[in-house]
Amino acid sequence: MSSSVTSETRRRRGIFGSRGGGRRRDRAPGEPRYVAFLFLLPALAFYLIFTMLPLLHTVWLSFFEWDGLSLGTWAGLDNYREILNDEDIRGAFIHSIELILYYSVIAVVVALLLIMVIQRAKVRGLTFFRTLIFLPQTIAVVVVAQAFVWIYAPKGPLNTLLEPFGLNRTWLGEFSTALPALGFVGSWMTFGLAFVLFLAGMQRIPQSLYDAARVDGATLWQEMRVVTIPQLRNELAVVITLTTITALRSFDLIYNTTSGGPGGETRVPSVLIVLNAFTYGKVGMASAIAVVLTIIIFAVAILITRIGDRSEHA
Amino acid sequence: MRKWILGAVVAMLAALIAACGGTPGQDTNASSSAATTVATAASDADNPFAKYGDITLKVWSADNQDPGPMPVIQELAAQFEAKYPNVKIELTFKGFTDYMKVIKLALSGNDAPDLAQGNQGFAVDGALVKAGLVLPLTDQLETMGWKDWYTPGTFQQFQWSDDGTKFGEGTTFGVAQFGQSTGMFYNKAKMAEAGVDPTTWATFDDMQAGLKTLRAALPADEAVINLGNKDGYEAVHAWGMIQGAYNDDAQAIRDWVFQADGATFDTPGNIKALQVLKDWVDAGYFGKDYNAVGENDAAAAFGKGSGAIYMGGNWQAGVIKEGLGDDAGFMNAPPGASGKHIAIGSTSLPWHISSKSKYPDVAAALINHLINGEGSAQLLYDQVQIPAVQSAPQPEGDEYLGAVATGWQQLVKDGGLTLFPDWSSPSMFDTMGAAFQKLMAGKITPEDVAKELQDDWQKYHDELAKG
Repeated sequence: MSSSVTSETRRRRGIFGSRGGGRRRDRAPGEPRYVAFLFLLPALAFYLIFTMLPLLHTVWLSFFEWDGLSLGTWAGLDNYREILNDEDIRGAFIHSIELILYYSVIAVVVALLLIMVIQRAKVRGLTFFRTLIFLPQTIAVVVVAQAFVWIYAPKGPLNTLLEPFGLNRTWLGEFSTALPALGFVGSWMTFGLAFVLFLAGMQRIPQSLYDAARVDGATLWQEMRVVTIPQLRNELAVVITLTTITALRSFDLIYNTTSGGPGGETRVPSVLIVLNAFTYGKVGMASAIAVVLTIIIFAVAILITRIGDRSEHA
Repeated sequence: MRKWILGAVVAMLAALIAACGGTPGQDTNASSSAATTVATAASDADNPFAKYGDITLKVWSADNQDPGPMPVIQELAAQFEAKYPNVKIELTFKGFTDYMKVIKLALSGNDAPDLAQGNQGFAVDGALVKAGLVLPLTDQLETMGWKDWYTPGTFQQFQWSDDGTKFGEGTTFGVAQFGQSTGMFYNKAKMAEAGVDPTTWATFDDMQAGLKTLRAALPADEAVINLGNKDGYEAVHAWGMIQGAYNDDAQAIRDWVFQADGATFDTPGNIKALQVLKDWVDAGYFGKDYNAVGENDAAAAFGKGSGAIYMGGNWQAGVIKEGLGDDAGFMNAPPGASGKHIAIGSTSLPWHISSKSKYPDVAAALINHLINGEGSAQLLYDQVQIPAVQSAPQPEGDEYLGAVATGWQQLVKDGGLTLFPDWSSPSMFDTMGAAFQKLMAGKITPEDVAKELQDDWQKYHDELAKG
């Protein structure tokens, strides 16, 4: 800010706002007046009541052993200790980390490859394809889940397609294929988001950068590496953050397809939260898993954002 | 300035924490009102409840299947209203899963239903007894003759210690309407085609030989036993029949379900039965799609002609009959060395009288009418349900339904209902489902299964001991 603007502001305040004249409270120039917080209050109140309060309540409950009905007993950190020691619960966290590979990494890589193609070739009916590719994002996950239960069914379309080659499997029923099969659905869902965001970001990249690269004889891959990816840095950070969070908290897809089976092979933390809270009668345990999941998601989001920031200064 | 905001935020957070603090469940544990014994002196010869004036009896049920139990309950309730014109019955039906999530809260609330179904096991019935929300039925057993309804082995599933910690003995807190046992449905046409007659299977070994013949006769991609194990429990139901063949003592199996001291899953009989289940998988009796199909879909597929046998609950009798028509047959799995029929099964959900009800005598009369009212058996048969009470007549002129009813009665008579193993702990349903899926996929051995289940059992046993 230039000093002329601040002095102008000060002078005006002096005319309309001064009561006794002279120096008033020490507010740095340009700092918002307290009254601004009044405007934030409604939103802040909602946020506190409907987000912060339940969150804190969950943290509080996680220190109890409580069946949701009779009197709870203080458990201290017991629930958290059990999370660390229980193989099944740790397994669930590992499953959701595996899902990141599908929801985030594969979706982003495929979207970038497609962008690379579009960058080179003029595609007719881009608007149509953009809508089509984004479509999975707009469908309720329960519907997606039902659709894929049908697609993956033992005598479903996928197996009908693969049967001539002897590649038909019980996709959601076999230990080795259940999680990858669900992961693929995840990639399919998040890919559209990645693609559309990258496409938007790409239109912002000046053509001159590509021209310059081509004059220097850059290959398709080099063009990608030195022009497209660095220019899409912000979009990448947003997409990776969103898809990773989606992967970590995935619930509806899994609950509506395998409910965690076969043999617990697709159990993720959010499924365990529901089981503990509503089936096992362990509300404290459910809360503790929820808190750990929240912390992990929070940490991952911060980590990705920081990496995004750092590369910006590099 | 910064400090001011920081202070405000800290203050606000502190207020929030204070608001959500306190021991959870504190206020829901209000002392349960002591049941008032209402004098039963009848002022009106025909209607002993006339003295109450116009009253409404709130009734909650999870038996919402139609066709199925729901129309039976509706019809019997309407009969009751006609008999006692001053009593209005307000029926509330919910699906099983939703119902079980809310019933405990509903019965602990101020507007509690007078009459409601619970669910056998620690998770629901145990909690209701522990919280004093349901009345003991000791008087009705004697005065209304309810004690003759079931055998002692069947009664155990309604019995609790008064503090709700011991299951399978003590005071009776509920009674139930219809019988839900597991058995063997078979496709008569497929059996005949393969030259197998299951009605001649006198022992479990005969059945084993028959399965072998069937495997050879049926096309390779068709399962002999149609199984829908997507949710993990259907294989357990089928296995219960194998377990019954290799165990002589159903009471020992029930004791494990009841969390009796010293009970164990790790018995030679159970290990052998688990091994037989794995052998059946390896022999291809179940095909290979069983983990991708749910129970209801598998029963429906069996009705449409997939597989020669369906081993599962008699609650699927209607669907299977509808699909197979006259080709549908039913029998209990043949017994093992003990000569007794032993399999998974129990009554339907127990009816409880709320300890908050102002008209417990009216509620008891309604239970009596629902379970043993005149014509109630036929109403159940019309909906392909099997009455649980011992005195119920056989269905007339329906061979298939008669066989399903006989299946239930055989198990009751032999004291062979092993109840449902997942009652033994709140997490057993999932533990068992996952362990069985792993066993069938060859990931773990029968001994591992026994250990996983016993570990889960022991964990809950310790929790119960802690109180």
